[in-house]
Amino acid sequence: MISSLEGKRALITGAAAGLGRATTELFVAQGASVVVADVDGAGAESVAAALGDRAVAVTHDVTVAAQWEAAVGTARDAFGGLDVLVNNAGIEIGKPLTETGEDEFDRLMKINVTGTFLGIKAAVPALVESGGGAIVNMASVAGLGGAPLLGAYCASKGAVIRLTEVAAIELRAAGIRVNAVCPAFVGTAMVDRLVKPFEAAVGLPFGDVVKIKQGRLGTSEEVAEMVAFLASDDARWTTGTANVLDGGLVEGLL
Amino acid sequence: MSGELEGRVALVTGAGRGIGAAVAAALEREGATVVRTDIAGTDVVLDVRDEAAVARVVAETAEQHGRLDIVVPNAGVAFVKPLTETSLAEWRELMAINLDGVFVTAREAAKVMAQAGKGSIVNIASVTGLRSAPLIGAYGASKHGVVGLTKTLGAELRDFGVRVNCVCPGFAGTDMVSSHEQELTDAIGMPVQDVINARQGRLGTAEEIADTVLFLASDRASFCTSGAYVMDGGLYGALV
Repeated sequence: MISSLEGKRALITGAAAGLGRATTELFVAQGASVVVADVDGAGAESVAAALGDRAVAVTHDVTVAAQWEAAVGTARDAFGGLDVLVNNAGIEIGKPLTETGEDEFDRLMKINVTGTFLGIKAAVPALVESGGGAIVNMASVAGLGGAPLLGAYCASKGAVIRLTEVAAIELRAAGIRVNAVCPAFVGTAMVDRLVKPFEAAVGLPFGDVVKIKQGRLGTSEEVAEMVAFLASDDARWTTGTANVLDGGLVEGLL
Repeated sequence: MSGELEGRVALVTGAGRGIGAAVAAALEREGATVVRTDIAGTDVVLDVRDEAAVARVVAETAEQHGRLDIVVPNAGVAFVKPLTETSLAEWRELMAINLDGVFVTAREAAKVMAQAGKGSIVNIASVTGLRSAPLIGAYGASKHGVVGLTKTLGAELRDFGVRVNCVCPGFAGTDMVSSHEQELTDAIGMPVQDVINARQGRLGTAEEIADTVLFLASDRASFCTSGAYVMDGGLYGALV
């Protein structure tokens, strides 16, 4: 039988919307208990409320170490421990590098990279208490190659992949697996926001580029399936990897 | 969640032992009807070097079962020798099985699947298809070839509803490590088991590889194509 997430206790960041929400819903459907963390506390509350007893919301800013302690503490208090961390929270900037302000670049790095780093640090003691576990970091195909207007985002996702590899090596002996997920364009609000600036900068219809390079937009549910697979015992020998789902985008030159 | 492949038909080459046997068992466990082939000892005997035989077995499988949903071109061989000492005959013999065999099997599967408008091909590559390892240069080159053909076949078939991916396992208990421990130790200059323990924690198992093949074969991986999925205890991501 395929390993489900029955009995696993997870903390998922950025869980109020998009990929994080879909992942949270799939985890609960597979039997996991989830701390639904988001900087949008009301959004997290509403996702958790719809999922019943096995979902608990926390208002959570991934850039603040103390809030990480609190979120991991919620997993301990509500579910008795932690088995899985999904570092999903992230933001994008859709601007040329030359027009990107230092403050907005720093803010993106702080959320996407420092947030992931702080999550690993905060979760590891709890995962060790559970006898091991899994960390899944939301990277992107933008971490594997360049894309116009996504300079800061690409740099941050590249950093997440490298961080994933090092964490995997350092934590292997503790029985903690660390993997990254690299989706291409998925039907989320984040991608919607990029359409206009992309078309203005590139001069090609976004829909056509998506159709040619990746067939169609991915769905949040498809990304959630990959996260669930990596968090499950089916992926028990998989660590330090960047798992692409992109309809062939990365490997296609044209 | 068991039985996710109920009603599906799968073909696995090199299914007599090792990874192929584990993949066939995993597909069957999830409800698929599995046709196992190998060069001997399986219900269907197939030498993947025989293009016409491969074409016949693929076509017959689809015909007899009315469909063909999953094909795992897994048959492969390995030898341990520096490239500088490898003869062209040895090189060609290995390529005929590991690369030509995968190409022909995947191509024939692709024809049937494209016509049906659905299907998943999961090639068995290796981390040696992404990076180098001493003494297995010919094997590694063949696996680099498998990764390469996976990328383009995936692109060619995407709009026909057919996904093509490959898995890249690290060193598993099934392969050449155990049978060539001394040669590898001499080549690396450290005990090969110690190096494996340090770099990937332990040897992998065929069942672990099979569970990733299962994921890629299933509808759970519906947006995955042209991909190379690594499972290796961290070997690939580590520089030292």
